[in-house]
Amino acid sequence: MSNVLTSVKIGGGAMVLAGVVLLILAPLIGEKVFSFLWALEPFTYIGGALIIAGLGAAVAAYAAAEQRFQSIQTVNGRHNGNSWSETTLQYFQLFDHDLGRPLRRIAGKERELRAVLQAAPGEADAGVVDLLDEIERQTPNFRLMMSNIQVLIQLESPNSEETLQPVEPTEIVRRIADLYTAVAVEAGKEITWWSEPAEMGLVYANSNAIEHIVTNLVDNAVRYAGTHVEVKLSNNPSHFFVRVWDDGPGIGAQYVQHLFDRGWTPEVVRREEKSSSGLGLFIARSLARQLGGDLTVETDDQADGDHHTAFLLSLPSNLASQPYGVR
Amino acid sequence: MAKANPGRKILVVDDESESAILRAIRRRVEKEGWETAIIEPESGYSLGEEFEAATIYSIEQELPDAVLLDVRFGEHRDDQFRGLSILSEIVERWPKLPILMFTQYSQGQERETAVRGSLQWDSSVDFIDKLASPDEVILRLRRLIGTSPESIPIGNQILVDVGTRQVFVGSGANQAVALEIQGMKFEIFRELAASWYRSPGELVAFSRLERYSDGEDPRASLRVRIREIKDAIGNALNTRFGPTELILNVRDQGYRLVPPKP
Repeated sequence: MSNVLTSVKIGGGAMVLAGVVLLILAPLIGEKVFSFLWALEPFTYIGGALIIAGLGAAVAAYAAAEQRFQSIQTVNGRHNGNSWSETTLQYFQLFDHDLGRPLRRIAGKERELRAVLQAAPGEADAGVVDLLDEIERQTPNFRLMMSNIQVLIQLESPNSEETLQPVEPTEIVRRIADLYTAVAVEAGKEITWWSEPAEMGLVYANSNAIEHIVTNLVDNAVRYAGTHVEVKLSNNPSHFFVRVWDDGPGIGAQYVQHLFDRGWTPEVVRREEKSSSGLGLFIARSLARQLGGDLTVETDDQADGDHHTAFLLSLPSNLASQPYGVR
Repeated sequence: MAKANPGRKILVVDDESESAILRAIRRRVEKEGWETAIIEPESGYSLGEEFEAATIYSIEQELPDAVLLDVRFGEHRDDQFRGLSILSEIVERWPKLPILMFTQYSQGQERETAVRGSLQWDSSVDFIDKLASPDEVILRLRRLIGTSPESIPIGNQILVDVGTRQVFVGSGANQAVALEIQGMKFEIFRELAASWYRSPGELVAFSRLERYSDGEDPRASLRVRIREIKDAIGNALNTRFGPTELILNVRDQGYRLVPPKP
């Protein structure tokens, strides 16, 4: 089918080209048909007709090809945008593995050096310790960056599937808080998290997706917080919610609409060097919506007020649709 | 005085057990008061199959409390996911043995494969990234192993001895029991310390702590007891803890332990 459409497009283009050539050459190769009406040569008519027919064929073929492309991209009722193949994902995983090895070596040597310095307290240069801290601080950034790319490829793959498994949201939030607690402490900040109710139990969801969304939110919060980050998990009979709050300077109302744009970061506005790829919130909201939930933001940037930013992730618990229901 | 978690043994199964990353983790495990046993890559261990056999033999012989298990063993195609077949065999033979999978793809394909395979949602199996900090590995192992420790050291100066229900304050020759922290006050402090031990940022909700208070206004009673605990420890350390130190009230939701800075 695509070969036919391509042939029609090429044919249409050729007709247009031939029409243009005829129009140019018409005065030289033909006689006027009518002296009183449209004093033009016969090849002019033929050339004009060829241009119109050629353009029509090319436009129709292009439209048909586009429609076909869109229908291929819509899998299971959702639109996947630009396609990434499974091969791309496999290549990325190899790349991730190859890149991970030297990075593990760097992190390993940094931890070795730290152990040597701790064994001889008092002799360490403060600058050296700062450098080691910086390497350790950048490690979660790297983990998240690689993970963002991997998730983006999966998200935009026409073959991606949603897998629902029994998941404990409390455990996921706990893991992420543990990962970022050390990072926050290094930066003179604190993370507090809690669940209400304390024992939330299981939901049916995609655990990788939840972990990825919340990691992006906490990473952002730690980056922009003044001193405190709070993560609260709660639920109602049909949904569960993760609220990530920070006491940072807040985001101006004029920028809120761009927050979830692909590649947008606050540094874009200030024309400064970007401190992140700007993919995190775009991916987080896309994933949340793909899972039947949403990600929203509430922010206050008043300098003298209770300035803060809070992201609210809401996702369906899917308890009613599962064979075992509520455990 | 009891050490934290005496006698715990962690079996490390990784073809790069002498790498800097693994050495840092082993040091942290030993700092925790736990012992590590290593499956050494000898000349015959070039194949994942031999690692698999050695792991099963070691579990039978060493009876570890948990296993730290790599996914990929070498570059051979057959051994790329060897750790997952070792995992299946361990889960089948010792379903209660906690296993922490140490992998580059803690959220990726390997986890999916394992979860869709033999793992149940309540299996004692978790996945952690190879770039995770040693502290993160310890927190995961603590939760996987699950049982409460006999004692919880909070920084270098405070130790909660769960067995004797006492709080020790100070270090070396200056260490003393904080006699004021007994009964309900001990239970409150133990609850806060246990939560901090599992996950340092976790808040203990009022609803969980108010059972250790009494009177018409349980929250006010709890506030008084928290103040008394802070004063008792502060007096022993010749300091006074402010509102954001040692025990922190977060937005009237609950309390969280904040270890004193060294």
